[in-house]
Parts: sequence; structure tokens; C-alpha cells
Amino acid sequence: MIVFGDTAVDRLLQWLRASGEPKDVRELLVQYLEILSELVMEESE
Amino acid sequence: MTATTGTLADEVWRLMTAQGILFAVDAPIRQTLQNLVEFFAARWQRDPAQVRAELEAALAADERFTREEVNGQVIFVTSRQGRYVPRDTTDIHTFKQRLYEPEKPLPIDDLSVVVSTSRPAITTVEPVYISDYWIEQARLVTAKAAEREPDVEPPVPVEAVPEGTPVIAEQPVAAPVTPVVVEPPSAAPITAELEEAPVETMPIAEPVETAPKPEPVQPAERSTVLVVGGMAIDLSRPPAEIVAEYGPALERILAERLEQDPLRRIVSFGRMHYPEDKLTSFGKNDLRKIRDYILERNEPLLDTEIVADLYYHNPRQSDYEGFRFSLNYRLSREKDFEFVGVEGANIWSTKGLPAIGSKRVKAAEMGQLTSYLIEGFDDSLADQSTDSIVASGSVTRWLTFFEWEFGVLPLDAALAALLPKPVFPDQRSAVLRFESPQHFSTYLVEVRYPTGNRGGWLQGLEDFFREHLVPGALITISRGDAVNVFTITYEEASETTSRLLTLDEKKNKFAFANMTFYCAVDDDLLPEQNRYGKLRNLKAFPMGERRKAEMILEHVCETMGERGGSREQPVYRVSFADIVMAYNVLRPASRSFLLALLANHPAIAADPAAEGMYLFTPPQEETKAEAIEEDEDVPAQPALRRRSGRYIEEDE
Repeated sequence: MIVFGDTAVDRLLQWLRASGEPKDVRELLVQYLEILSELVMEESE
Repeated sequence: MTATTGTLADEVWRLMTAQGILFAVDAPIRQTLQNLVEFFAARWQRDPAQVRAELEAALAADERFTREEVNGQVIFVTSRQGRYVPRDTTDIHTFKQRLYEPEKPLPIDDLSVVVSTSRPAITTVEPVYISDYWIEQARLVTAKAAEREPDVEPPVPVEAVPEGTPVIAEQPVAAPVTPVVVEPPSAAPITAELEEAPVETMPIAEPVETAPKPEPVQPAERSTVLVVGGMAIDLSRPPAEIVAEYGPALERILAERLEQDPLRRIVSFGRMHYPEDKLTSFGKNDLRKIRDYILERNEPLLDTEIVADLYYHNPRQSDYEGFRFSLNYRLSREKDFEFVGVEGANIWSTKGLPAIGSKRVKAAEMGQLTSYLIEGFDDSLADQSTDSIVASGSVTRWLTFFEWEFGVLPLDAALAALLPKPVFPDQRSAVLRFESPQHFSTYLVEVRYPTGNRGGWLQGLEDFFREHLVPGALITISRGDAVNVFTITYEEASETTSRLLTLDEKKNKFAFANMTFYCAVDDDLLPEQNRYGKLRNLKAFPMGERRKAEMILEHVCETMGERGGSREQPVYRVSFADIVMAYNVLRPASRSFLLALLANHPAIAADPAAEGMYLFTPPQEETKAEAIEEDEDVPAQPALRRRSGRYIEEDE
């Protein structure tokens, strides 16, 4: 079960930490969608 | 086991458990056979070899003892609870597992079970109550979907999802995958049902010879469709495509969800987000230093100025943006600081700074005077559309007397299209810098955004208007080099001297005075004595009184109109142009607002004889009252007017 805004936020946080600077919510959203997409693909495999 | 051996084994067991009396009940108690033989042989005064044989036989037959051999030495093991059973050290249920298994085990309600040495600020999450109407709609949608495919689809088990969960995905469906749109009936955070429809369990009708054969069943695959706030999002698509289609809505939902995270792992300031644990700490000394610096500079400051001047950070440093974000985030949580910036320019004000603009008009009064903009009487886009304003980056408008006198401009739709929007929903105002390239001067202008039923306005241009312009001048406001910088210009003209309307503040009366100006003006809007001599008869009402739109309109009609009718029942005939001119001396108003006022006023009617002329017939009660007073030969007193809204000079 994937909950938008809840699932994999820790991975988003890791990415944000690694980037080292504040990010616009648009960039955050794109990255989060990529993470969710990867998650769905991993589960389907 | 014989009685003798049993007795011997019992004695050995008592002996060994006495030795290990302080052991745990399941701890092993070991004793060598050699020690036992020596002990019993000495005690019984018998041959050790015989005793050894008896002991070995007795203990081997007793299940409480386990025989071990270590380096050729025989050892018997037992425990206080009987036979020694090695302890199983496999920990199947640890505290760590309870916390982290499954991956997200703790709903917000259960956070109290988390043991922590610190007490993070946990926001209280109120339950989200969903209207019965929407729940019923959701049932109808499900029912309709079931009706559409009655022969193939079995009854879909609907799993209840806790309220407040905005989005749920993962819908196993039969392949080939067709994006299944579970459309919640509202944009509110609502559940999306998890449809379990395994193909193997589907009841497939028995094939009938005459009927077409059912299509071969494909193996089930997981759907990649995610339902977010009523939007079905296929995660197999590139994120850029999804963002292009649903960007703003998804941004809003993501920002809200991160805001609601009880651990506040990601914090935000405006559109920017940053990990909470990476924030730079600012203490009370820092805040005091920042406040003192803003006061010293005597105007709101950009965050970049504070960072550079007080902390000597420059944009080339790797942590610059993080430091800047931390500063803004910290100041946004302090009540002594107020954000007065716009998107792209974080400007901070603090307590103690001088007010921008005239103090003669209070904010509450100005908000009421411009409320007509909120009520739908904004015709500022009649001459220039929003698109043209956005494209050209400039707004041109005529200056009225009220705007010129007090240095304010109503924040109408035309100006709102040009000026930046507030960054935060609760942002009260923004401070912009207006530059005058014709005079190389700069003015701080405060934009007061509309709130509730009160309109917005700009203030702070009093000096510029009074020094360089007159009422009726044409001004142009354009975007500048930065998001918070604008230019204000006017069309220059040759020197002109004229007797224009002014407000004598000492006497609180309007008067005409000679003024010389160098700007192009609209003659219809220029309050010249030759043309608008009656304007001096207008009363300079207190600002609190001027919000009474009908009362001001009546006063304007009486002042500007030509008196006709009889002595008992006067009728004032006034043109719409004069009304617009005089009304905008006392307070700001649009033409559509005045037309609506005129149309709805019971004592004002359009003159059928001439277009654009109006007839105002004051209520008769007041004239009767005046007549009675005059008959009694008492000193003349202003009559009380109806609706208690009419102005009485003694109230002044």
C-alpha cells in the first residue's frame, strides 16, 4: 500500500540531505514521484 | 531404575542442587564423576571402583542427569528444575522489531508508545470528518461501477481505510493493465478503495457450446496507478509528465503531508523545503542582533542583506543556501519579526520600524474604503486586460484627489495583476521599492493585501505624488529589475499653473490654491476652481464617516448638484461626471460602484431628459423639521438626517 506523502518520505529525506541545499517543492515532487515509481516497480518485480 | 539406584540418584541430585542453590532454576549444575566417587566412597567407606560403577549406573538411568565427557573426564549435568535444557538464545520479539516492523507501524494516534528522551513538538491531528453526503456519493460510485460489469466482476471487497488517509494505491487488477481510476467524489482527502480482485478467485461462467468462449485469463499484475486527491496518477509515466499535468495540486498535497508529519523531518519556508536536522541554530542573541540591525537601517531588510552584513556569508559558500533558509525559517517563527517579502525576495520587518505611508488614514479605515473592490465593483480591467498587463509589465492609471492627497492607491485587479502575490496565506502586507527614474528617488511602498471583506491598497507614495504630480495626472507603474522593485513614471508636460483643490488640514476644509505642475493631466479629472468650484463646499468628513457610501453620495449630490424644485422639496440635479469627481475627493470609488449606488438609492433617479444626469430628492422629513425650527424662531440647528448616517457638523 502506497500513501502519497507518507510512504518513502525517509528516502526523500535522504535525497534532500544529500543535496545539501533547500529545494523547491516542485523539485521535491519530481524526486518523490521517481522514488514512488521505483518502489512500485520493485514491488511488481 | 531400581530403588537403590533411584535413592542414589536422588541423593546426588540433592547434593548438586544444594551446591547450585543460588543458580537460576534452568542454569546447568555440573559435577565430575570423580568428585562424586571420592565423596561417596569416603562417606560409605567402600571401594571407589564399586561406587563409581553404582553411580554411573544410577545417574545414567535417571533422566534428570545428562552425561558429558570433557577431555576424558566424565561430568554429570543437571539443574534445579530437573533435566538441564540448554537455553534458546534466539530472540524472536525485540523492542527494536516492535518499532520498525512492519515498515510503518505507528499511526499518528499511537505515537505515545514511542519512548524518547526528548519531547518533540507533536502537532495534534484532529480527526477528519467527512460529510455523509460524500460517503453516500462514494457508495453510489461503487454501486454504479459494480452494475456496469455484473457478469465478470465478483463483488468487490471494499476495505475500509482510516479517515485522514489521503491516498492509497496499489490495486492488483487483471492484465493488461488499464489505469483504474477510483474517483473520489470530492477533492477532499478521501479514501481510495483497495480493490482485491485476484483472477484466480473469479467465478468464471461455465462455457456453453453456443456461447462465445471466454477470453484467456491473463496472470495478475500490480497496477501502477496511484490515486491522489481524486487524481489517478500512473506512476509508470515519467515524473515530468505527471508534474506537468497535476503539478500544482500534487505540490499542495505533498507540502501539506510533510507539514503534518509529526516528526517534522522536512520543514518548509514558502516553497522551499529542507531537512529539519540540517537547520542552523539561531539563538536569542542572534535574533536581537538581527532586530537591532533592521532598526538601525530603519527599513525592512532582505534576508541576503542580513546574512551578508551580520554573518559574512557569501553565495559562493557551499552552505549559503542552507544558512539562508535556516534564517528565514527561524524568523518566520518569531513574533517580533514579520515577513513582508514576495516570492523571490525574503524581506523582514520588525517591531519598532516607522510606519510606511500616511498616518492620516488608518489601516482599518482604508480597508473599509476599498471594500468595493471585494464586492465586485472593480472595473480597472476595462481599459487593459490582465494578459496585457502581465505581458507589458506595466499599469497606467489616472490619479484621483483622494489618492494624491493621501498617497494611496487601491489594489484593484489591474494592480494585483502586476504586483507580486503574497507568499503565505496569512501574509498581511509586502514592502516594495518604487523607483522614480525621472527624479532619481526611491520610495518604500507597502502593499496591504485584501483580507476578508476588506480591500487592499498601496501606501507610501504621498511624498512622490505631492512633490511631482497633481490630481488627474497619468501615472505608470512598471516592473523593475528585481521582483520587489518597481518604477513609477508620469508623462511630463510644460509648466502649468492653476488653482487646484487642496485640503487645508488646519481648518479641515477644502480650498483652492495656486499650484504649478509639470505633468500631463486629464482635464476632466483635474480639480480646477474654474470647472469644479463647488468642490470646496465638500465636507472633510472624518475617515470613519467616509465608509458610509450612501451618506457620502447624498452629500456629493447636494454639494455638486444644481438646486431646483421648491423650498420645501428641493431637487438636486447633478451629472455623473461631477459625482465621480467629487466622490473620489472624499474616498476612492470606481465608476461601476457609483453606478450601482445611484441605481439602488431610493432618493436618486436618472434624469429622463438628459443622459448622464441624476436627480436627487432629499427626504421630506428633514425639510419639514427645518421649517418647524425656523417658525419657532430658534437658532438654526442642523437637522438630524435619516438612517443616522447623515453628517452633522457638531459631530465633527
